[in-house]
Amino acid sequence: MEDRIARYLSHRMPQARDVAVHDLARIAGGSSQETFRFRAVWREGVETVERALILRRAPVAGTVVVQQDLEFNVYAALAGRGVPVPHAHFLELDPQWLDRSFFIMDLCPGKPGSFSDADPYPGIDAEIARQFWRHLGTLAAIDHRAIGLDHLRNGAATGRFWARELDHWEAILDEGELYVEPIVRGAIRWMRANPPPEPRKPAITHGDYRSGNFLFMPDGRISAILDWEMCHISDPLEDIAWALDPLWSMARHLPEAESLAIWEEASEMTVDREALDWWRLFAPVKGCGIWTTAEASIAEGRSGEMIVLGAAVLAGRVHRNAVLTRMIERGAGR
Amino acid sequence: MKLSQDTILHAAVAALREQVAPAIQDPFIEDVLRMAANQVSMVADAWDSAAALRIDENQRMRTLFAESAGAVADNGLAERLADAAQSSDPGYRISELDRENGRLRSLLVELHTHVEASASEPARVIDRRIWRHLQDVEAKRAPR
Repeated sequence: MEDRIARYLSHRMPQARDVAVHDLARIAGGSSQETFRFRAVWREGVETVERALILRRAPVAGTVVVQQDLEFNVYAALAGRGVPVPHAHFLELDPQWLDRSFFIMDLCPGKPGSFSDADPYPGIDAEIARQFWRHLGTLAAIDHRAIGLDHLRNGAATGRFWARELDHWEAILDEGELYVEPIVRGAIRWMRANPPPEPRKPAITHGDYRSGNFLFMPDGRISAILDWEMCHISDPLEDIAWALDPLWSMARHLPEAESLAIWEEASEMTVDREALDWWRLFAPVKGCGIWTTAEASIAEGRSGEMIVLGAAVLAGRVHRNAVLTRMIERGAGR
Repeated sequence: MKLSQDTILHAAVAALREQVAPAIQDPFIEDVLRMAANQVSMVADAWDSAAALRIDENQRMRTLFAESAGAVADNGLAERLADAAQSSDPGYRISELDRENGRLRSLLVELHTHVEASASEPARVIDRRIWRHLQDVEAKRAPR
């Protein structure tokens, strides 16, 4: 694969000579795409250039249906907008190079913190959480149309984001479920009967903004926010509720009240706590949609990735239980 | 026969963890092996009770249907509930039990949707029973 990547880089950089790729290694984590890191070296004039890069390749199947150009375009659009993202270099949709679509971006400094670790950000978790919420607030404040992201899902919509997203994930459940989950369907009916108010403005929604989807430095700085393949336009509360989902909640690292205050300051919007409660139920329902896609990918033989299987089995159960708990809090069964 | 299926699977997991994993140099492959071993271990844990859980869950749904059919205003639905209440599992293979479970669950969702649309006390009672049933199912299916 190193040779194939080198040939591709030569094709994309006609000025480069003697392009070589070294130390290619697949990176663990991330169940939606195959991620590789590598070192590229080439000559340009009399200079030798060396870059540490990341290649993200579409899987045959996984937890979500990946639109590779979406993530690449989001990285490009958000460059220099106050939200740390990697510099994206090349998007390739032609499968002739590496069998499936892929893109290449910079390898950012820092490391990811797994939400399943007992202490993923030792000694610096509060500072990381503050930045986490500040970056999300900054993202929510950006006008998606002004940076050319109106092509994203719901990009032209002005309201009813709750219904659009609920329709989206219900359709995914319809497609992926082998047997219907009555708990999830009951929650969906409840959400349709009890909709949240409209947001003050639509926001660029990361779609998977949570602990584990960013890189951090030893000094507590978040160096890059990653994994934007589910990015869309929605109510900004969607990402907040997702980040607070008990499976990976950032409230472990900073009290929720302080977290929301930081978001409010950065976004110049107020969090409607009642509306947030609706989105807190939406979060595990959406999770069930993602894990159902993972189940279908495995069941139909389109994915053999253990991380996809693990997500389907373990996270699916956790989120179905979370839906049940939230429905009981709302009076179900009483 | 002294070896049950779960004992065999647990032995395989132990070999993967204790003999194979230490010999792997690639951290990505090591992670794959760890996750695969976890999955096999979970299957082993669930093996002994798999059929009993499904038979019990299916029977509980039939009982719920039997007790609800009389309180449902939609005659077509009431008839299907009564039919399902009289049904039995077509076989004891896990795949057969799961298919029957899926069929009964779909009817449960239909019943649930129907009673949610009614403010009558009998409908409220059925709604509460369905949610309690769903809580019981999740609790029983939780990994031991």
